[in-house]
Amino acid sequence: MIYLLFGIVILICIYTVRHYFFTLNRLFGFQRHPYIDIDTADWPQVTVLVAAHNEEKVISHILTALMKVNYPQEKFVVMPVNDRSTDRTREIIDSFVQAHPGRIRPFHRIGGKGGKAAALKDAMERIETEVILIFDADYIPGSALIKQLVAPFFDPEVGGVMGRVVPLNVGTNLLTRLLDLERAGGYQVDQQARMNLRLVPQHGGTVAGVRLSALQEIGGWNDNSLTEDTDLTYRLLLAGWKTVYQNRSECYEEVPETWAVRIKQIMRWAKGHNQVLATYGLRLLFGKHLATFRERVDGLLLLGVYVMAPVTIIGWLLALAVFYQGVNPLHGIIALLSITAYAAVGNFAAFFEIAAAARLDSSRERVRLLPLLMLGFLVSIVAVSRAVISQLMDFLTGAQLHWDKTERFRAPS
Amino acid sequence: MNPSVAILCLVLATAGLLALPLMPAIGELRKKHDAQPLSVIQQYAGEIRHFASGFRNYIEPLQQRLQECVALRMTAAGVLHQDDEYLLLGEVDQTSLSRMVGREGTTCPMLVAAGVDLVLPGGLTFRKEIFAGGQFLGGEQSTYRAILGDKQIHLQRASKVLRWAHAAGSFQVDHNCDLYGRVSSDEQMLLQSGCFFQRLNAPCIVMGSPEVTADGNGSFASAISTVEPTPERPARRRLIEGDWEIQPGEVVRENIVSRGKLHIGAGARIFGSAKSNSEMVVGPDVVVEGSLISAATMHIGPRCQIRGPVISEREMVIQSGAQCGAPQIPTTVSAPIIDAEEGSLFFGTLWAREQGRVIPKS
Repeated sequence: MIYLLFGIVILICIYTVRHYFFTLNRLFGFQRHPYIDIDTADWPQVTVLVAAHNEEKVISHILTALMKVNYPQEKFVVMPVNDRSTDRTREIIDSFVQAHPGRIRPFHRIGGKGGKAAALKDAMERIETEVILIFDADYIPGSALIKQLVAPFFDPEVGGVMGRVVPLNVGTNLLTRLLDLERAGGYQVDQQARMNLRLVPQHGGTVAGVRLSALQEIGGWNDNSLTEDTDLTYRLLLAGWKTVYQNRSECYEEVPETWAVRIKQIMRWAKGHNQVLATYGLRLLFGKHLATFRERVDGLLLLGVYVMAPVTIIGWLLALAVFYQGVNPLHGIIALLSITAYAAVGNFAAFFEIAAAARLDSSRERVRLLPLLMLGFLVSIVAVSRAVISQLMDFLTGAQLHWDKTERFRAPS
Repeated sequence: MNPSVAILCLVLATAGLLALPLMPAIGELRKKHDAQPLSVIQQYAGEIRHFASGFRNYIEPLQQRLQECVALRMTAAGVLHQDDEYLLLGEVDQTSLSRMVGREGTTCPMLVAAGVDLVLPGGLTFRKEIFAGGQFLGGEQSTYRAILGDKQIHLQRASKVLRWAHAAGSFQVDHNCDLYGRVSSDEQMLLQSGCFFQRLNAPCIVMGSPEVTADGNGSFASAISTVEPTPERPARRRLIEGDWEIQPGEVVRENIVSRGKLHIGAGARIFGSAKSNSEMVVGPDVVVEGSLISAATMHIGPRCQIRGPVISEREMVIQSGAQCGAPQIPTTVSAPIIDAEEGSLFFGTLWAREQGRVIPKS
């Protein structure tokens, strides 16, 4: 038991060091934005996919925004992927098609497998451009965003691009405010540090792009995956393609406004991540492929993030058991120093990361909410652990994984 | 004390102490001082002419009066938007110049708008923006905050632009000038050796006098290569673990990605793009139809022609006669440090994040 606890402590320490390393890199290290300067070029043809499943509340916002972007019109086609919607999504899309002839080429999907990945997979048959950008329907791209997301594809090593997601409905309630902080930490610090350190920035499946030839090389979208974006990141990596992160390519999104929706969302992410870990984890670390050593290590740590939730709970239970059994694993003073050191530094690694993100974003007051993140942390750790248990049960019973769309909260226009 | 009261006090005190660190959080949650979404730039402020366009809008209320000054050949002063002193020049003579620089004789504290050609003596410092409706000729060793020219701009030796400058006509910069910020022209730019720059944009940017460009006959246009760009863009990629060398004269019809150094031999032609994760050396007379990307330093040899974006994450040296982009295919050249030799040509954007220099031909 004590050795299992030691193992868990070592894992937690590794993640703690990782958090600090990323944060310090963002605060003091060299920042890589190699493609952001490309403002003049012979821009390639691009197709913008808008994944939409019952999106009547938001679809008109993104289509309006996309009609105003700064990109050569003759090289830019928007393809709303209307995936079996039963609301007014189709009607709204068709009204835009009429209002902007030749600029919107809709794909109304009326059958087939459910889920975003399956819809994108079907849409691929209709795409001829080398560069594909992907947005979820609740996003609102700014006019410069398209060029910024296309620019990295001038690098022939780049297979995928990810931009920064910024919550729009921040002030709604406690949850949205906590999610705003979490997103800031995740993108402003975590993703950019991985970009700086040439590790594995993660493709998020929205505010993102992919190179058609790279996608074809790796076999297209995996419609069996709950998180097709994570799956894509790792298959690109194994095939020697880079996914790059563009921190200054920002786009507004809507975050969940109720805890139930949030829990559902994070459970899906956890299951998807774990699915990718189970599928590619060993191959990533030990297999013969084109990822570098540092990409292998970071890629595995990134995939292990959601496994750490149940591992941490097990660690807590083991620590209690060890305490009540009276096991004295280390000399008293060393144990005391270790616990004190971890309590002083380790516990706050993730919070330090988020505080650093708030500073980098020059947002002053919202950082005061940091202590309340403990609430979000506790909810997440339980939800993710539930997801892991449910996934294990699914595996044992042979049940199929089910894709759940995240509910929208915006009032329709 | 009653033990029950003591316990209650203890519980309350403990709860209070636990709640104390949460007070700022609860205060922010209730008052929502910082609950707006982070500012995401919806419009493209990175556009090179952003500040020039903004300044043009800013001085729009002065245009009518400026035309009157030109018609009457007079000078007028006033205050714009409540606190910005300005001077309108309908004629440039000794009197108006004296009014511009005041008693001190070297510094102009006002926004200057000239409706006629503006020829300035050397050694002046302009603390505010200048608008020149006619041609602008700045004297030697002068310092400008920002210049907007409706026609040509010519900066003489050892001048400085601190923020931005834009010319609707051509933009000529003599030796040893420092151009900080954004400098652009709607026609063409000519920078002489010894100049420092950060971000330049023009349909055509020439380093050095036209006499030292590729064919040496003094014409910008005649220096432009006649090798026709091709629309061929291969999607296939060759990924090389380690260093790689493309042989002199070799024709490559795919994208090349080297995880190590990449050396492109003289006269090679690449129909795709090339990327190196380490140093990249491009020999003389190489033609690349796509982009060139280096994660480290990049050296582009003489008379090379690169059509697509050219990006180096560290330093870049571009030798004489090399040209990036083409008249019909403007592109971006970007690196933290750029040394562009006299005789190099650029079409589009040249962006040195830290420092760009025009150096003599080697």
